[in-house]
Amino acid sequence: MMDISCGDRAPILGALYHAPGSIARHDAVAWGYGRGADQRGVEIHQQTEVTGIEVQSDRITGVETSQGKISTPRVLCAVAGFTPRLLEMVGLRSPITIHPLQAMVSEPMKPWLDPIIVSGSLHVYVSQTARGELVMGASLDPYELHSTRSTLEFTEGLAAHMLELFPFLSQVKVVRQWAGMADMTPDFAPIMGKTPIQGFYLDAGWGTWGFKATPVCGKTMAYTVARDRNHTLIEEFGIDRFTQYALVGEKGAASVGH
Amino acid sequence: MKQLTCPINGTRSIAEFIYGGELRPMPDPQSVDDSIWAAYVFHRDGAPGVKREWWCHSPSNTWFIAERHTVTDEILRTYLYGEEA
Repeated sequence: MMDISCGDRAPILGALYHAPGSIARHDAVAWGYGRGADQRGVEIHQQTEVTGIEVQSDRITGVETSQGKISTPRVLCAVAGFTPRLLEMVGLRSPITIHPLQAMVSEPMKPWLDPIIVSGSLHVYVSQTARGELVMGASLDPYELHSTRSTLEFTEGLAAHMLELFPFLSQVKVVRQWAGMADMTPDFAPIMGKTPIQGFYLDAGWGTWGFKATPVCGKTMAYTVARDRNHTLIEEFGIDRFTQYALVGEKGAASVGH
Repeated sequence: MKQLTCPINGTRSIAEFIYGGELRPMPDPQSVDDSIWAAYVFHRDGAPGVKREWWCHSPSNTWFIAERHTVTDEILRTYLYGEEA
């Protein structure tokens, strides 16, 4: 029998169970998309930096890269944590700010954790991989930073909260930690679709959303670029929603304090 | 441990401080149009570089300005609002 009073120190008053919740290998998904695109004739230029975007009379005319210039009337910008730098190149302003999102991994251990556990009050999410490692994350770093550095403050804070949930992990070692740059919007919803620059399309502001919306983003953004008209599914996510005070009441954001 | 210097209380652990966002001059609410006001409310200078930001030393509730590089996280200087040398 489970002791949910926790010695009356922090009794469990309630919880949510999401039966279809599951884990997928995001790296495998990304590589799958990369291979699929390559097989269909898409050129992927690695190690190529965008150094400028040409705009004439509020129209896209080309992209400058470290490997040379590309002439084009259309650009889709889907660069996550680098979005503000690219928006500056075309002279657009947005509410996006960049915060690091950190995570860490424990040494492998025997399987004991099948579901994914999220605590909104402790700002913890944790799951166990097929290799036995615990993958753990917390909330965003508390201030803006365009960097993927790791911090001891994060490791200490997350480890302390993990031990509140699972004291038996006190001897477990952390083997790896890392960070990514999350592009955050004020309403935690993405910014998608056409922009005031003709031919410049944006798919940004996904912040801490992970990769699960990628397939429908691809479909709706391909529709939008091909027809130069926002797909009906993404109409509410336009960059003009801020100047129109029409923010999205986001109901799908993760239950941790992102 | 990263540290930040409060103009009143000196150099303290970053854990004692709250980030208050970039310093944004407020346009006159009586005379601006809706688009300029919306830009003030929502838009941020999101590109990386040296920024002037509000920070608060939480135990003493001291709000002040820090000039910080948002790529290197280097804090160039801190001072009370209006007391920039």
